[in-house]
Amino acid sequence: MHLFGSLLTIEEASALRLSFQVATCAAAVGLPFAVAAGYLLARSHFRGKWLIEVLVNLPLVLPPVVVGYLLLVCFSPRGPVGSLLSAWFGARIVFTWWGAVLASVVVSFPLMVRAIRLTFQGIDPRLEMAAQSLGAGRLRTFLTVSLPLARRGLIAGCVLGFARSLGEFGATIMVAGNIEGQTRTIPLAIFTLTNQPGGIDRSWRLVGLAVLLAGGALAVSEWLERRRSTDGTA
Amino acid sequence: MALLDFRCRHPFSSGFQLDVAFESEHRFTTLFGPSGAGKTTILSIIAGFVTPREGYVRLGDRTLLDTDHRVSVPVKSRSVGVVFQDALLFPHLTVDANLRFGQRRRRKQKRVVDFGRVVEVLEVGGLLKRHPRNLSGGEKQRVALGRALLSGPELLLMDEPMASLDAPLKTRILAYLERVVIEWNIPTLYVSHSQAEVRRASDWVVILDQGRIVARGVPEDALGQPAPLGWSDSTRPMNLVRLDRVERTDGQLKGWIGSQLLSLPPQAPSGLLPRFAMFSPAHVFLSKQDLAGVSARNHLRGRVCRLATSNQAIFVAIDIGQIIWAEVTPAAANEMNLRAGDEVFCLLKAHGLSLVD
Repeated sequence: MHLFGSLLTIEEASALRLSFQVATCAAAVGLPFAVAAGYLLARSHFRGKWLIEVLVNLPLVLPPVVVGYLLLVCFSPRGPVGSLLSAWFGARIVFTWWGAVLASVVVSFPLMVRAIRLTFQGIDPRLEMAAQSLGAGRLRTFLTVSLPLARRGLIAGCVLGFARSLGEFGATIMVAGNIEGQTRTIPLAIFTLTNQPGGIDRSWRLVGLAVLLAGGALAVSEWLERRRSTDGTA
Repeated sequence: MALLDFRCRHPFSSGFQLDVAFESEHRFTTLFGPSGAGKTTILSIIAGFVTPREGYVRLGDRTLLDTDHRVSVPVKSRSVGVVFQDALLFPHLTVDANLRFGQRRRRKQKRVVDFGRVVEVLEVGGLLKRHPRNLSGGEKQRVALGRALLSGPELLLMDEPMASLDAPLKTRILAYLERVVIEWNIPTLYVSHSQAEVRRASDWVVILDQGRIVARGVPEDALGQPAPLGWSDSTRPMNLVRLDRVERTDGQLKGWIGSQLLSLPPQAPSGLLPRFAMFSPAHVFLSKQDLAGVSARNHLRGRVCRLATSNQAIFVAIDIGQIIWAEVTPAAANEMNLRAGDEVFCLLKAHGLSLVD
């Protein structure tokens, strides 16, 4: 059966919707943590900062399957975090679409932090000093000066995180499985299709969609970057 | 008890050592010296941006910093208004929002600084809706001054506007600052590398070179010490005389120092009447008689106060109603047999004078 005339099958439409949902949630959930980490790394100097840097960037170089494995161990109902979530909230993460969100957040985190950190580094720290000399505490300085000045970087970070989440495969299949309509995002749908007879030929629409979505997100991020360099604010 | 008590000793990684102690009970104190003397660092320590290895800062009855007793009041609670060299307005806020940024603190304080009055005195009423990127350098400085003022500071720190601002613009900022000091009576510490600025505005000057104080006192005395007399470039000796009266007749400007007339260089007719004339000691010719038939328009009668030697030149302080300095070669001073108490005439070309409003 096809939706949008004969453009997409129900399975394809479901994968598209799920990919969107997971990537959007991943960017939203990751943002506050990425802002905190980005600001900390841009502005603070402390012992053991290198350790934070390594931890933040680790998902960038680890095989996604390894990330997925570690998340699975931690968040499974008997794992250290999963058992707590289950006991306190009765919540289950693994093999639900929230598992896909979790995998995406972790894998896209280094990219988001990098974009946001660069933006904070580009803000003259003396603007923050000026705010404090005018009586603003650290929190008010952050909320009224640093954060608004970093807004484009935050958006760029979200777009990058969103794009990376769209392509997430290895960690997702470990943590969330490959459940039709629940955790089967576009990459998983392509993987599933191509394992069926004649599937290679039937995958082209999803492949096209993936290229379109990722390309669109990068174009938005590029456009933001250009506006940032022409109007002088970070 | 002095208004401001400052002591600090701080080595920098570059090998530079700041070792300075001064007190000031004056409304308008200037820190003067060449680049790299440590002036801006002193402002940063008072504001709390930099914590020195050893330091003590007291403002009135409040101790802001005392490293011996591990006291360091956070920046936000120091009640010190800072005007940075490059204004540092918040680029994402309008002029209005920039000006109001510090008002929250002001409400808790006794000193009343009215928003409307600040806008009026600094003439920024027409700029309120604009963003900082659409302001000129001078406008930015005025807004930055207003922003600091509206936070209700007990001390105003002002770093000399960027060297990139041209000279007339800089003196105009100083004129606004003078108005502010008169209107609100806020103690001010101003950083400068121009002797004319020091003479113009300050009640007290602390002169620094390479992290140490080389002279201090009222500008007239402190600037007459050997170190500042020997400086060149922007910190070179510079006379500034206050014109007691100025008239424009037939497009010609005339000024008076006491009863002595001064011919001034022509000026754009639309401009404000100048209040000061500035000239280099090297452009003052001395003569023991009033000479006739010379092209220099101004012959000011005065009396030699003292002579000072610096950098193989003789600087002669002359009282013409105000003290001015003339620079002569040792040979000329010898030949003229100049001594304190001698009557001399100071010859000045009208075009050698710069006017300051």
